[in-house]
Amino acid sequence: MHSAPFLSRRQALQQLACGFGYLAFAGVAAQAAARANANPLAPRPGHFPARAKRVIFLFMGGGVSHLDSFDYKPALYTHDGKMMDFLDQRAIAKTGAGASGRVMKPLWDFKQRGQSGRWVSELFPHLAKHADDYCVVRSMHTEGVAHGPATLFLHTGTTNFIRPSMGAWVTYGLGTGNENLPAFVSLSPTLANGGPRNYGNAFLPSVHQGTAIGRAGQKAAEAGMRNVRNLQRTAEQQQRYFDLVRGLNTEQLRAKPGDQELEAVADSFELAWRLQNHAPDAMDISKESKATQALYGIGEEHTDDYGRQCLMARRLAEAGVRFIQVNYSDNSNNPAWDQHSNMPKHKDHAVRVDKPVAGLLADLKARGLLDDTIVWFGSEFGRTPYAEKNGTGRDHNPTGFSVLLAGGGFKRGFAYGETDEFGHFAVANKVHMHDLHATILHQLGLDHERLTYRHDGRDYRLTDVHGHVVRELFA
Amino acid sequence: MPTLNPTVVPAALRFLRLLLCPRPGLTPRFITFALLAGGARLGAVEAADLEFFEKKIRPLLAERCYECHSAEYKTKAGLRLDGTEGWIKGGESGPAVVPGNVDQSALIKAVRYTGLEFEPMPPKSALSREEVALLEEWVKRGAPGPAGVAVADKPRTGGMTIAEGRKFWSFVPPAAPVVPAVHDAAWARTPIDRFLAAKWEEKSLRPAADADRPALFRRLAFDLTGLPPTPEALAAFVADARPDARERAIDALLASPQFGERWGRHWLDVARFAESSGGGRTLLFKDAWRYRDYVIDAFNRDLPFDRFIREQLAGDLLPYTTPAERRRQVIATAFLALGPTNYEEQNKGALRMDVIDEQIDTLGKAFLGLTLGCARCHDHKFDPVPTQDYYALAGILRSTHTLHNYTDNVAKWVDAALPLDGAAAQELAAHEAKVADLERRIAKLRASTKAAAAPAKSTSLKELPGIVVDDPQAKVVGRWKSSQTTPGYFGEGYLSDDNADKGAKTVTFTPAIAQAGRYEVRLAFPALANRATNVPVTVFHADGEQVITVNQREVPPIGGRFLSLGVFRFEKDGQGYVLVSNEGTDGFVVVDALQLLPADERKDAAAAPAPADRKDRQLLAELRKLEADLKKLNAAGPQRLQAMSVREAVGEIGDTEIRIRGVTRNLGPKVPRGFLQVAAYGPTPAFSSTESGRRELADWIAHPANPLTARVLVNRVWAWLMGAGLVRSVDNLGTTGDRPTHPELLDHLARQFVADGWSIKQLVREIVRSRAYGLATAGSPEAARLDPDNLLLSHAPRRRLEAEQIRDAILWVSGRLDGTVGGPNITGAGAANASEYGYVFTDTRRSVYTPAFRNRRLELFEVFDFADINAPVGQRAISTVAPQALFLMNHPFVMEQARFAAERLLAVPLADDAARVAHAYRASLGRPPSGAELALATTFLQTAGGTDAAVGVRLEAWTALQQALFSCVDFRYLN
Repeated sequence: MHSAPFLSRRQALQQLACGFGYLAFAGVAAQAAARANANPLAPRPGHFPARAKRVIFLFMGGGVSHLDSFDYKPALYTHDGKMMDFLDQRAIAKTGAGASGRVMKPLWDFKQRGQSGRWVSELFPHLAKHADDYCVVRSMHTEGVAHGPATLFLHTGTTNFIRPSMGAWVTYGLGTGNENLPAFVSLSPTLANGGPRNYGNAFLPSVHQGTAIGRAGQKAAEAGMRNVRNLQRTAEQQQRYFDLVRGLNTEQLRAKPGDQELEAVADSFELAWRLQNHAPDAMDISKESKATQALYGIGEEHTDDYGRQCLMARRLAEAGVRFIQVNYSDNSNNPAWDQHSNMPKHKDHAVRVDKPVAGLLADLKARGLLDDTIVWFGSEFGRTPYAEKNGTGRDHNPTGFSVLLAGGGFKRGFAYGETDEFGHFAVANKVHMHDLHATILHQLGLDHERLTYRHDGRDYRLTDVHGHVVRELFA
Repeated sequence: MPTLNPTVVPAALRFLRLLLCPRPGLTPRFITFALLAGGARLGAVEAADLEFFEKKIRPLLAERCYECHSAEYKTKAGLRLDGTEGWIKGGESGPAVVPGNVDQSALIKAVRYTGLEFEPMPPKSALSREEVALLEEWVKRGAPGPAGVAVADKPRTGGMTIAEGRKFWSFVPPAAPVVPAVHDAAWARTPIDRFLAAKWEEKSLRPAADADRPALFRRLAFDLTGLPPTPEALAAFVADARPDARERAIDALLASPQFGERWGRHWLDVARFAESSGGGRTLLFKDAWRYRDYVIDAFNRDLPFDRFIREQLAGDLLPYTTPAERRRQVIATAFLALGPTNYEEQNKGALRMDVIDEQIDTLGKAFLGLTLGCARCHDHKFDPVPTQDYYALAGILRSTHTLHNYTDNVAKWVDAALPLDGAAAQELAAHEAKVADLERRIAKLRASTKAAAAPAKSTSLKELPGIVVDDPQAKVVGRWKSSQTTPGYFGEGYLSDDNADKGAKTVTFTPAIAQAGRYEVRLAFPALANRATNVPVTVFHADGEQVITVNQREVPPIGGRFLSLGVFRFEKDGQGYVLVSNEGTDGFVVVDALQLLPADERKDAAAAPAPADRKDRQLLAELRKLEADLKKLNAAGPQRLQAMSVREAVGEIGDTEIRIRGVTRNLGPKVPRGFLQVAAYGPTPAFSSTESGRRELADWIAHPANPLTARVLVNRVWAWLMGAGLVRSVDNLGTTGDRPTHPELLDHLARQFVADGWSIKQLVREIVRSRAYGLATAGSPEAARLDPDNLLLSHAPRRRLEAEQIRDAILWVSGRLDGTVGGPNITGAGAANASEYGYVFTDTRRSVYTPAFRNRRLELFEVFDFADINAPVGQRAISTVAPQALFLMNHPFVMEQARFAAERLLAVPLADDAARVAHAYRASLGRPPSGAELALATTFLQTAGGTDAAVGVRLEAWTALQQALFSCVDFRYLN
C-alpha cells in the first residue's frame, strides 16, 4: 500500500478509535501540523494504480426506459399487446404477489451501430453514433421501487439509512486535483427524492460534502456557486475588508502561537479568497469557442440548458474537480423520465440530453480527457416491458435496466450482461448497483472493501458488505 | 472417479467440463469425496433416484451453489447444499427443501428468481428454465441424495458473550471511588479537581494558569446560555471581588430562561429532533415544536433526568393529576415519533420494522450509548448484544403504534389530542357542540335548497358528486401558500403559488379511481384579475397525457367553480394524475380541487346550480348566513390541540418474532419482551398482555442500577462543557468505543448525579465551578509533549462556537435578536400542504427555534456543522472549511447584520473612534482590542472612509469593520 497519507489517517483513527467529531478535528489539526499530507482534500493515490482520475455522472432522474434505448428485445415485438403475468415489483412490495400487464413494444426502432454493431434505438440518435465509445451494462439491478428510495440507493448505497454519497466517498479516498475549486460538484440537483442527501457527506468530514451549483428548475445559465461573489461591495472595498480580516487573524494567532486549529481557520480564508477569484472563471462557459458550444447544442432551444451543464462539467473536469454530477431532473416526485403514461414523451427528454451528452463524449475524446475520465450515464432504475394496466406508459423496474460507461479504462463498443427475453429481470452476469459502485471505485484506484470510515464504532463502506468488481468491463 | 454419460443433460456436460477444467477453488478432490460418501448410503434410497441426483442435480449444485453453500467454501446464511442434512436442516431461513413439496421449498422459491420471499439465487445469474425444472423434479421425487455430510453446529457469529460482556467496564455498575488525596490540596476547588490533579501528579504535569476573568465569563455565558455576555454583566463580574463571585454568576446563568434554550438544544441533537421527515417525500411535522418546547422547559425546570426519560418513552402511559401534566407527558413521547421515517416505503411490513429499528437505534444511543441497530440482522459483531435482545426490545415497540395506519400509500404519524384545562376544556366542548349544531342546520338547509354548488364562501366537499380531491390531499412540490382570500372554494381553502419561483412548484392530484372508465376531469380554482392566464395543467390518463392551458383570470364556466379539462379514460387504481405547474406563468397560480365525474353519469350530476326560485332564494340567504356564522365560530373558537405521539397497539400487544437476517417476512422464533441481558440488574418484569411494556422499558433505563444510563449522561454533559468526554466516543460506550480516561471520576460523577436526584443543573454547576473548567487554554510545552491530546485536561480546550451560537451572537451584537421564548416558528406550518421546499427563513429568533428541516437547513447551519439531523448526536463535529469563510465574507445575512451592528455602534455617544472600536470589541469578542488590533482598525477606518463626514461612506466602513470582527478567529472560539 503506497498511499501513505490515507493510511496515516486510518491509523490515527484506529489508534484513537474516536468518533466523527474527533476525526474532523484531527483532520484540521493535522492539516497545520503537516500541511503537505494532512489536508483532507490534498490529492493522494488510491489503493492501487488508477485507470481514471475523475467521474462525470450524467444522472437521468425518473428512469430511462432501457427497453426503448439500449436493451434490444425482439420478444417485445412478437408479444406486443398480449396480456401476460409479470412479477411487478410495485405489486410485490405491496401485496407480495405479481400482476398482469400488456406487453408493449419499443416505440423507437433499433439498429446495430458502429463497428461494434451494438443495438441502439432512434431514441438517442446522437449517442447511437458513439456506440463504439462506451460499454452498455444491460444487467443492472438495484433496490427501491419508488423514486425516493431508489435514488438514494443509487447515490448512497442505501434506500433509507443516512450514508455518505458516492462523490463524498471518492473525494474522501482521493482528495481533489484543484484546491481552488470544490472537489465534488453536483450541477442542478433536485430537491426531491432525498434532495441534498444525494450529494451529502453524512458522517464523513464536511469537506467531502458535494457543492451544489444551481438547482433543478433553475436555468443553467443562471446557476452559480454560493457566496463566491460579493454583490454589495466594490472589488477595492472587498480587498480592504479581506486585508483587515487577514490582519486581525494574524494578530490573534500571534497571541496563541502554534495553535494548529486556529491556523486552519486563517488558511480557510486564504482558500476562500482563491475560490472567489477562480471558481466563477472555471464555470464561465462563455470562454469556449462557438464551435465547442455548438457541439453541445448550446444556443439551440431544446439542448441549451443541458448543453451548458455538460460543458461546465467538462471545464470543471479539466480544472481538476474529482466528481461532477450533471443532473437531468426536476423537483417533482415523478421526475423527468418517469413516463407512467405517454411513453412518447421520452423523446422530449431524449432530445434535451442526447446531443449534449454526445457532444461531451466527443469533446472529452478530442482533448484526450476521455482516457482518464469515467463518464457514467444512467438512472435510478429502468422501466417495465409492459404498460401499466392498459395505459401508454411503463412503470418502474429496479430488477433490470441499463447504464452506459465511457472512458476511464472501460471497454468500448461492448455490451455486458443480459435481461430475460422481455427485458424485465437481469438474469445473466447480473450487476447490482453495489457492484457498479465497486467497479467505478476500482477504476479510480480505490478498493471498495478498503475505502472505509469508522463511525459509531464500526467501519462503513459505500458498498456496505456487498459489491463485486466487474472486471469483465475493463479494457 | 465415476463415469458420466456425456449425452444426458447440459448440466451434466457442464459438470464434465468442471471435472476436466475445474474452476479455481472448486477441486475435483472434494467432489470425489462427496460421491464416495454418497455411495455409502446407497441402500437407503432408490438407486434410480440417487442416480438422478448424481447425474443431474449434484453437478448443478456443485457448479452453481457450492461456492457459497458448502463445507468446502462458504456457508452463507448458514446453508449447506452439499448433503441431505444440509438442505433438510437448512440455514437461517429454515429448511431449504421440503421433500416432495415443490412450492414449499425455499430452494425452489429462490431459484425461480422472483424475489418474492427470498433473494433470487444464484445471485450472479439465473439458472436456465431447464435447470429450474430439474431441481423441481428432484424435490418432487423427494429430494433424494446422500447423507454423510454432517452439518456443523452454527458457528458463533457474534462478538462477546453475555458473561464476558458483564465484565466489560461500562456494564459493570459504577463503583464508589474515594476522592483522591493530592499533594497540592490548596489548588483544588472541588472533587473534580482532585480526580484530575491525581493524574497530573502521576505524570508530573502542572495545570495551566487560570483563564483571565473576561475569558472565563464569556466561556460561562456561552456554555450556560448560548449567548455572549452583555458588556455590563461582564464588567460587573470582572469587578466582583467577593470569594463566591463565580458561584453567584453561575447561579444567575443557570436560573435564566436561556439556560433551557441552550441545554435543550443539546438534547434536541441527541433526540435527532427535526420538524420534517426528510428522505424521499419529506413531510412537515407541524406539531414537533411542542416537543422542542417541552425539552427546553424540562431543562429550565430541572426536571429530574430519570423522569425525563420516563416521559419520553412512556409519557402517554403515566398517571397524571392535571391536564397540563398530561399534555407535557404526551408531548414528550414525540421522542419516539419524530425520526427520519420514509413514509412512502411501499413494503409496509418493512416500514413498520424500519420505524422500530430507528427507535431502537435512537434510544440505544441516546440513553445507553450503544449501537443496537447492528443486532437487527445478526448478533452484534462486537458488543454483547444478541439478536434475541434486539427483538425483545422490538416486541415492546411493535406493541406500540408509531404510525397512524400501516397500510396507507403514504403513511402518517400519530397525532394525539391534548386535553385542555378545566375551563378551556368546557369551552371547547361547548364550542364543538355549537359547531355540530350549526353544521346540522346547514346540512338540512342545503338538502332543501339544492343550492349546494352556489357560490358560498366555502363549500364542503361531501356535497360534490364523483371523485373529488381537495388541495390538502394533493402532493405539492415547492412552497404553496394556503389561502382563503377569494371566496368560493371547497373545503378549508385553496393553494396559491404566491406568484414566485416559477417552474419550481407543482401540485399533483392523484384521484383514487375505483372503477375503470371514462371520466370528465374538472379543475376548481377561484378566478381573479391577478391570476395567470397560461397555467399548464397536465392530465396523465390511461391513453397518454395532455397539457391544457388554463386562464385563471376567467371565471370557470361550471357554477363559477369548475373548468372542464375534457373527458379521459382512467384505469382502476392506475397511475392517473393531474399535475398543475407554475412554469412560465404570468400571474398567481391557484389550485382548489379536482373532480372526476363518470362521463356516462354526467347528466345526473349536473354541477351547475339550477336557477333558484324565490323561496329557494330565501332559504339560500339563510344558508349563507349560517355558513358565515360557522366560519366565524370556527375562526374565533378554541382549537383542539394535537401533538405527535405514539399509542398502544391494542389487539397486537405481545412478543414478536426474530426476523432472520433482518428480513421482514422471514420469521424466526418469538422472543419474550425484555431488555439487554448484559445490562440486566434484577429480574425482568412480567410484561402485561394489555400494555406494550414501554413503561417497564423506561423504568429499566432510568434506574440507578442501570450501569449505562447515568454514565452516558454525565459523560455527555462533561463533553458539552469540557470539549471532549471522559469517554471520548460519547455516543458509544460499547466495546468499540473509547475507554474512559478517568474511570473513577466518571463513576464519581454518575453516582453523585443519581444521589442528587438526577439533577442536570446540579451536575452542570459542579463541573463549571471546578478550577479545571476555568483553566487557560494555553498548555505548557511539557503538557504538549507528555499529553499531546490533552486527555488529562491540564489546560482548557479551545472550543469553537456551534452554529447556533455563531448566529445568535451575530444577532445579539446587531441588536436584532428576537428573544421570544417557545411557540411554533414555521410560517404557514398549519396548512396541510406546507413544505420545506422553497421555505424562506426570515425570523431572527434564537436558533433553537429555527425550523429544523431534514432536507433543507439554514445555510449558516449547514456551513458551521449543525448536527446530523437524522441520527442522535451527542457531540457535534467541528470542521474548518472554506465555505465558512465564504459565508462570512459574502453572505447577505452577515453583511446585513454587520450593518445593523454598525448603525447601533455609531449611535452610541462615545468620545472618539478608538473608544468606538473598543466598544465594538467588547460587544463582539468580550474583551478590549490589543494595541496592534486597535492600530489595524484605525488604519482601516482611515483608508476605508470610517472618518468620512458623509454618513453613508462612514457606515460602510464601520460595517466592514464589524463584519471583520464577525469573521476573525477570536469571534468563533472560546478562549
